[in-house]
Amino acid sequence: MDELTRSLAWFRPELALVVGLVLVVVADSFGGASRNFVMRLLTTGALAAALGFALQLQAEGAKAALFSGMLVIDPLSAAFKLVLIAAGLLTVLAFSFRNSRELHGLGQGELFALVLALVLSCLLLAASNDIVMLYLALEMVSITSYVMVAYLKGDRMSNEASLKYVLFGAASTGTMLYGLSLLYGLAGTTSMPGIQEYLAGGIPDQNRFAVYAVTLLVLAGFGFKIAAVPFHFWCPDVYQGAATPVTALLSVLPKAAGLAITLRFFYGTLSVPESGAWDLAGSIHWTALLMLISVLTMTLGNVAALTQTNMKRLLAYSSIAHAGFLLMGIVALSENGARGLLVYLAAYLVMNLGAFLVVTLVHLHDGSFDLRDYPGLYRRAPLLTLAMAFFLLSLVGIPPFVGFLAKLYVFAAVIEKGMGLYATIAALNVAIAAYYSFKVLKVMTIDPGNEDKPALKLALADQVWLAAFALANLVPLLFWDRIEGWARGALVLYAGG
Amino acid sequence: MIGLQHYLVVAAALFALGVLGLLTRRNAVHVLMSIELILNSANVNLVAFSRYAAGNLGGQVFAVFVIVVAASEVAVALAIVLTLYRLRRTPNLDDADILKG
Amino acid sequence: MSGEAVVFWLFASLTVASAAVVVLSRTLIYSAFALLATFFGVAGLYVLLGADFLAATQLLIYVGGILVLLLFGVMLTHKIYDLDLRTETTQIASGLIVAGGLFVILAALALKTEWPGVARVPAPTTAGIGRLFLGDYLLPFEAASVLLLVALMGAAMIVRRRRDA
Repeated sequence: MDELTRSLAWFRPELALVVGLVLVVVADSFGGASRNFVMRLLTTGALAAALGFALQLQAEGAKAALFSGMLVIDPLSAAFKLVLIAAGLLTVLAFSFRNSRELHGLGQGELFALVLALVLSCLLLAASNDIVMLYLALEMVSITSYVMVAYLKGDRMSNEASLKYVLFGAASTGTMLYGLSLLYGLAGTTSMPGIQEYLAGGIPDQNRFAVYAVTLLVLAGFGFKIAAVPFHFWCPDVYQGAATPVTALLSVLPKAAGLAITLRFFYGTLSVPESGAWDLAGSIHWTALLMLISVLTMTLGNVAALTQTNMKRLLAYSSIAHAGFLLMGIVALSENGARGLLVYLAAYLVMNLGAFLVVTLVHLHDGSFDLRDYPGLYRRAPLLTLAMAFFLLSLVGIPPFVGFLAKLYVFAAVIEKGMGLYATIAALNVAIAAYYSFKVLKVMTIDPGNEDKPALKLALADQVWLAAFALANLVPLLFWDRIEGWARGALVLYAGG
Repeated sequence: MIGLQHYLVVAAALFALGVLGLLTRRNAVHVLMSIELILNSANVNLVAFSRYAAGNLGGQVFAVFVIVVAASEVAVALAIVLTLYRLRRTPNLDDADILKG
Repeated sequence: MSGEAVVFWLFASLTVASAAVVVLSRTLIYSAFALLATFFGVAGLYVLLGADFLAATQLLIYVGGILVLLLFGVMLTHKIYDLDLRTETTQIASGLIVAGGLFVILAALALKTEWPGVARVPAPTTAGIGRLFLGDYLLPFEAASVLLLVALMGAAMIVRRRRDA
């Protein structure tokens, strides 16, 4: 009982979300004309409360294992939680049933409840300290995502996408589960610190093969969640088939949570601290494997994006490529690597959500996701085009945008570890990304077409959010020492049970 | 004498058969059944380890959660299959061709 | 051969053979009923491993719930007297090679690895599992309820006919 009350005190953000979830479900069933407004208010309120609690947790800097070692609370997980909750809150605020043509006329209650459940599951996943909790949280994130993608159930493409998502996802996580079962057999415990102890104690030669096999199998599940090659096949179809606000949310939340747990699993369970907390060495040589996956992912994502004309698919491939860049932080196996991952995720959040907001608004007014319908937007919607320019340049990693700083961090972490070839390939990928990003900008600004179409009348709320996201991509440069301090303070990984 | 290895090999066989089904079947419900085979194979591993290697009930508790998750996945998957069938009259994956992979 | 060995080989062959039918059969209905046999076989293996609660759960949920759901899915989406002779399996040769290779690797792994030998004396597990659910594994236990809520809500929402917002 003491364990329970002690743990609940640290569980405040998640509790806020659970309360919000229950209230939204209740509000939805009680009907009433104003229930949509009430549910939106409840969702935003729950997310804001959770954000407040997460900020408190970060300030308190606690380090403990919760719920008998199921979850861990440490500054790193608190920082990830901030990013995750912020992603959910910003999506709910900026996207709505009003400014998304796809969501018009659909029931709102379920989607709000699903958003809360998704954020909650992501929080649990990012802080998991036990393979049972890890598997359950991963599946919670996945199943919530499957349902969100299937939301546009009247649309055949959306249904096909969600079916492919479910089957691919269930197969990947099933494979991961097989790996986790072997890990339980080897270590005799489901607790991740316990498994680390077993692996750190020296693996007998005849068991090495098993540990390698486990790593590969578990990567099936993690790779699926972050859409890394070769587990990325579902990504373009699902991003295209889901409603764009859902795509925006899925492009950030599950990916960030997946990367958080990948970091924790590889740094915490599969590595041994040597002379200092951050001087880690892998119990097995997994760095090379992750490096290979990272290179394949960023290259395939960027190259495939070159030929896309559907904006959602283009952003999907771009998103896949970014997973490759984000993995650089994990491959670096150092404190700078972890910091790079955290900063990149925070930057990725504002870049990606902004880009998807632009795509949603264009679809709302013009009814098209096709790049070939984008000419003339410079004339018809200057604010929107300018914002898109900010987002695209930030995604590529061009100074002075926040995307550049994020890439600087991961590149520095990797170069510091002497992985010169790796960094070079990543730099080449930046060039490829620049090509298709500039192509989009060129179409929006210079290309002739659509002269007869009228100017886009954006709602005030949409203009405000576009400006907010655009500034969020530019302004952080001025506060860099603050952000640096936040990231530095977050780098404490608690590996106890 | 039946030991741990016997059960593990049975689980490996189930896993391999599940993967075979994933690779070769075109009907969504068939693929779903193959996924159930994979999940069951992991469960057999867990329970066998619980009995012979770990000596605790952690594996069995894990297995119960796996069953819960499997049930949820099947429910959602079949709901989507049903909707797709209504819209399109076929649950075949290869016919799901609007989206080019 | 001891009694335990006989029972093991019985259940093991039932499980693997019916799993093969699930994967190789042309007809969905045959696969569904073969899956039923697989689940029974696995439940039998659980009993042999001393997991009494789990065996009961397997039967209740997998057979009584999941399989029934699958059968509904099969019945509602497939014409039983389907005269379509097009083969449903694609690239079976390469699939067999991959799956066969996978089996060899995993079986070798199982046999070669030195597993810790901490054995558990078979005893009724229900009380122990219950204690773990409300003790060490409390959080996953509660989180599972959110999962079930989402799955329930989601499946119902996906399947029902359009309603006005």
